Amino acid sequence: MKRGRFGALAIITWLYVLWSLVPVLIAVRISFNSGKSRSAFQSMSMRWYWEDPSSVWRSDELQTALTNTLKLAGLTMLIATPLGVAMAIGLQRWRGKMSRGANNLMLLPLVTPEIVVGVSLFLVFTQIYTSVPRGFTTQLLGHVTFTISYVVIIVRGRLLSIGIHFEEAARDLGATRIQAMRLVLLPQLGPAIFASLMVVFATSVDDFVISSFLSTGSSTETVPIKIYSTARAAATPNVNALATVMLLITLAAVMVAWLAMRLLRRGGVDSDASLTSMSI
Amino acid sequence: MGTTRRQFIGQTAGLGVLLGAGIPLLGACGGDDDEGGAVTDAIKDGLEPEAGPLRIFNYADYVNPDTVASFEEQYGVKVEITTFDVDAEAITKLANGSVEIDVHNSAAPNSLNRLIAGGILQPLNKSYLTNFDNLLPSFVDPWYDKGSKYTVPYTVFSSGIAYRNDRVDPAQVEEMGWDILWDPTYKGVTSILDDYREGISLALLRAGITDVNTTDKAQIEQAGADLSELVKTMNIKVNIEAYKDIPEGATDLAHTWSGDMLAGVWYMPEGTDASVLGWWYPSDGVGVVNNDCMTITANAKNPVLGHLWINHLLDTANAEENFGWNGYLPPIKGLDADYLIANEYAPENLRSAVLTNEIIDKGLRFEPLPVDADRLWEETWSKFTAG
Amino acid sequence: MAAPGTLWLVALFVVPSYAILAVAFGDIDPILRTAAPHWNPVSWDFTAMRGVLDRVFFGDLRHVFVRTGLFALASLAGCCLIGYPVAYYVARSARRSRGALLALLVLPFWISYLMRMLAWVNLLQTDGYVNRVLGWTHLGSGSRNWLDGDWPTVVFGLIYGYIPFFILPLYAALERLDGRLIEASRDLGASKIWTFIRVTLPLSIPGLMAASVIIVLPMCGDYYTNTYLTGGSPRTEMVGNQIEFFLRGSSQPQTGAALVIILMIFLMVLMAYYLVTIARSQREGARA
Repeated sequence: MKRGRFGALAIITWLYVLWSLVPVLIAVRISFNSGKSRSAFQSMSMRWYWEDPSSVWRSDELQTALTNTLKLAGLTMLIATPLGVAMAIGLQRWRGKMSRGANNLMLLPLVTPEIVVGVSLFLVFTQIYTSVPRGFTTQLLGHVTFTISYVVIIVRGRLLSIGIHFEEAARDLGATRIQAMRLVLLPQLGPAIFASLMVVFATSVDDFVISSFLSTGSSTETVPIKIYSTARAAATPNVNALATVMLLITLAAVMVAWLAMRLLRRGGVDSDASLTSMSI
Repeated sequence: MGTTRRQFIGQTAGLGVLLGAGIPLLGACGGDDDEGGAVTDAIKDGLEPEAGPLRIFNYADYVNPDTVASFEEQYGVKVEITTFDVDAEAITKLANGSVEIDVHNSAAPNSLNRLIAGGILQPLNKSYLTNFDNLLPSFVDPWYDKGSKYTVPYTVFSSGIAYRNDRVDPAQVEEMGWDILWDPTYKGVTSILDDYREGISLALLRAGITDVNTTDKAQIEQAGADLSELVKTMNIKVNIEAYKDIPEGATDLAHTWSGDMLAGVWYMPEGTDASVLGWWYPSDGVGVVNNDCMTITANAKNPVLGHLWINHLLDTANAEENFGWNGYLPPIKGLDADYLIANEYAPENLRSAVLTNEIIDKGLRFEPLPVDADRLWEETWSKFTAG
Repeated sequence: MAAPGTLWLVALFVVPSYAILAVAFGDIDPILRTAAPHWNPVSWDFTAMRGVLDRVFFGDLRHVFVRTGLFALASLAGCCLIGYPVAYYVARSARRSRGALLALLVLPFWISYLMRMLAWVNLLQTDGYVNRVLGWTHLGSGSRNWLDGDWPTVVFGLIYGYIPFFILPLYAALERLDGRLIEASRDLGASKIWTFIRVTLPLSIPGLMAASVIIVLPMCGDYYTNTYLTGGSPRTEMVGNQIEFFLRGSSQPQTGAALVIILMIFLMVLMAYYLVTIARSQREGARA
């Protein structure tokens, strides 16, 4: 295809990228504010990183929030992804009314407003599933619940484009059902699984409503809860510093994961298809 | 825990009916825990402090981290602060047992009766509160907790109008009072508190009704209609951000808490002096005054530490330090306007935002509303915010 | 293999959804005035629901529902206008650069949504960068108060917040689209625009629908975007704000739960429409 053909589209796309990134840069800049304000920038300082008693470095609360957020997102990723991958494979092969029901059920969490999920989980954990330890465990269960669907959708899109032929060929050549899945199907799902991990991680890290409904105290508060709690006497740029630190950690983790993927990658699987497969 | 609490409340439904009718029950519910609802036994004298960590429930950024640090150092324990956004949320979480807390640091007087009757709070043992005498006389035996059985006040604040005196003439504010929030000259630059009791009371006071606990349907609905007028004529904003919006100039006139304006000094952008901040409160002293209360939960794991924490904040020097950070006035002797201005905690132009004894005593207080009236207030508010 | 996931969703999604019914048709605790759900449908009380229905269909809440729907539709239109070209460009760009482009599209995800909204508040202030840029370029007066509670700002915020979720599925659909069909159309003499209207667009309808559903439905429950971007103006109040007020900060959680149920019924209707359309297009696809 000729390059010129995309002139207008390219401009729109790059403007869009710029538009989406500007607020991120602003939020990062405010974290270096020397004043207490989160909107009026005074001068550059590292006050909210390590000087102030409430800075990221000196506040145990913020550090707890940071570790909670990362732990929660990490574990959510590790539980929701396998569950979702299995569900996607299962749904693709399972025919009949029940399957359609499960399919529609899977779509519901995607379209349910978060506040509804938050309130209902809060009620269920405090009144029905009372033996589940509250706090981190319930938050984890909640996060997995609303991220499974993303995995199913991403993986299913990929499954549809792979088709069933490779696996059938493997079976014809004498592989067992499990071998065929492990040796043929899963490697091909690599990019979709990678994309799922990323989306699940990002969604979990960003969740405020569900974490806050299921939080039992300062030991289970997350970064978004800290950001949102602009109550009576106001928040300071320390939360911006916190978000910036988290951004850096996440970026580093993604880079490491991406490099690892590249190193581990065996022929035939293109990494840029990582988000290719997201569709309903 | 949730279930037990519900069963337990079922047994004391009679109590609820009384509360629903708005009959003050405080002090009337002595006797055995298992029947009466309220917890009546305080901890024993002379116990050793627990090992912590002390778990405190509070609004976000409502206590000076230095004041917390000095407590941690003095008693060799850790303090963990859990935050909530609105009073009803705090009650729900405490009632469901979904938070584990030792000290509820900011209970509202108008919902205290519910927390006490619901068995959520335990009485205080004053022998630990050696600084109790530092309290202003008005708070030694407050109306909402006779004999200070369960609570010690944390901060006291009034609701008035914060403004920029470089954009709005102070004489004009003085002359018009609450009416200025209805004056279209200031369309687009005004805000009122996002709180149903505060908002509706504002409209009541403006209409000359001083019963801020009214159950009169006509009065409440008229107040709602007056508020709704603000949407069209003033393009009013409803939030709790005046502490920064006024200093930064996004808003010129705001119905807000006095503590927000004193804290607002710290949010002045560079190049703007805090002398542009103004504060108005009815000169006859007929306005809303409120306070937050420190309490200890019935199921606290660290009740002794909890008492020590309350005592820590009753200490004059600590209270002063805390005020210097959050702007909300502790009702402690000696921390008056003269002292705070002389020590540069507050600018002279915000003198009236530091409550005097007279203002505190004259102030109108939010009392618990009977259930039906409370609903009417809430619905009226929801109609107003629906635009 | 679908069993564990399905069971998980039944236990932690279906059962909790029932809790909303139990609250809406339940009671409040007589002392604490917190929700006291009635788990047994026999003892359900429909008073709160009747009151809310009355307000939704005949009273003040009707505006709120209509407004929410209009905001969502306007935002969807904006997402299509911006998101479709972006998704199309990325899907048709060279494979090598696609990875980097996708990474850029996902990048804003890594910093909190609330944080980004606060940054917008900052940018849109009267003396913020947006006005400064408009002033320099003479595109606008440069003194407009964007945070004054006007609907375009809220729609702008909703587009900004939700558009990545729109672009990704749409991109996936466009990426799988067979390029040979487009070339064939061009070879047969159709113009670029005609090809787009007759070939590309129809083929991407299912992807477009999926992307729309993914953003429109959660948008209807949003309550912080408008709060942040208008300083809490009643003129932009959405259903989510009312739900939040009643469920979190009031003594009548039943009202909040009833609102949730009514909102969910509206959303289910939209969802059903989507599922029917998709099923029909799949059947047609199979026949062709």
